[in-house]
Amino acid sequence: MQQHNPTSGRINVDPDNAEQGLAQLVLTVVELLRQIVERHAMRRVEGGTLTDEQVENLGVALMNLEEKMEELKDVFGLDAEDLNIDLGPLGNLL
Amino acid sequence: MGDLLYLYGLIPTHEATHPLPSIKGFDGEHEIFMLPNDDVTAIVCHLDHTAYSEETISDKINNDMEWLQEKAFHHHETVQQLAQQFTIVPLKFCTLYKNEESLRETVEKNKVKLKETFELLDGNEEWNLKIYCDDEQIKQQVSESNPVIKAKREEISALPRGRQFFEKKKMDELINQELEDEKNRFCEDIHEKLKSVSLFGSIKKTWGKDVTGRKEKMAWNSVFLLPTSNVEQFLGNVEQYEGDFQEIGWKFEVSGPWPPYHFSSFS
Repeated sequence: MQQHNPTSGRINVDPDNAEQGLAQLVLTVVELLRQIVERHAMRRVEGGTLTDEQVENLGVALMNLEEKMEELKDVFGLDAEDLNIDLGPLGNLL
Repeated sequence: MGDLLYLYGLIPTHEATHPLPSIKGFDGEHEIFMLPNDDVTAIVCHLDHTAYSEETISDKINNDMEWLQEKAFHHHETVQQLAQQFTIVPLKFCTLYKNEESLRETVEKNKVKLKETFELLDGNEEWNLKIYCDDEQIKQQVSESNPVIKAKREEISALPRGRQFFEKKKMDELINQELEDEKNRFCEDIHEKLKSVSLFGSIKKTWGKDVTGRKEKMAWNSVFLLPTSNVEQFLGNVEQYEGDFQEIGWKFEVSGPWPPYHFSSFS
């Protein structure tokens, strides 16, 4: 069984190992969305239009999301570098 | 049209007193030989112009990794071997001339510059230094020792959890910025110190992990032109830095002598 290569920046969808490749692909997309949401939230907080309570709720929600993501990465044996895709001349996805 | 000429390097004619070692050329058939032109002697080999046309070569370089690896290795090995015997201006991989005439013309045009380069290179060696570091280890030092970050951390710990999340993110960014600054400061300092025992030092692009295959990041990549008599001191200095800084996450990799690719240009 072929293991994913942590530094290749490629998603390995091996026929014998499709689950692992799929999990890596799905988690990459989820991580991308999570980071977009996080950055957007940061901008909202910086913008100063949110109430203290809203900021607090948003912060706790994002913190929980980050923790959940860490758990999922652990479950599938992936680390931060695996959740990235090399987009060639455009650089890395994340 | 006759054979092409593959140029490995240029040496001063007055050093070309003993014959070349017997080395097979780029195609593995023709031997390399000397082609004197007044004060400058070119070290070349013949190549069949049909098998090694410009198109064939660029196609091979782009599409045939095995070929490229073998040929690049051959080029490097040959130039390295020549550099041990002669003061040499090494040429880039795949420098070809249509015929002796066009090579002579180019050498003739660059005569003055070549003479200066030979004088510069005579008695000197090119050495390379790469500095690697463990980002996590350096990051920890930065985050513990930097007073701004320290104060910020205390300020954050008093905030409610949700707010803390955002402030921590901002602090991470600050730490990453400080980490890059610290790495540059450290490496620049080492570079300057080593420059004092060399004639020239020049900074090159660092390589990614996919090229180095190491788990540490390359923080610095530089080349030095050293008088042969200073090499020992240079190596001693690097060894001392290694002893002083290895514990705190820095690794030094020195290599050489290299053919002086970075301190001679000829096209």
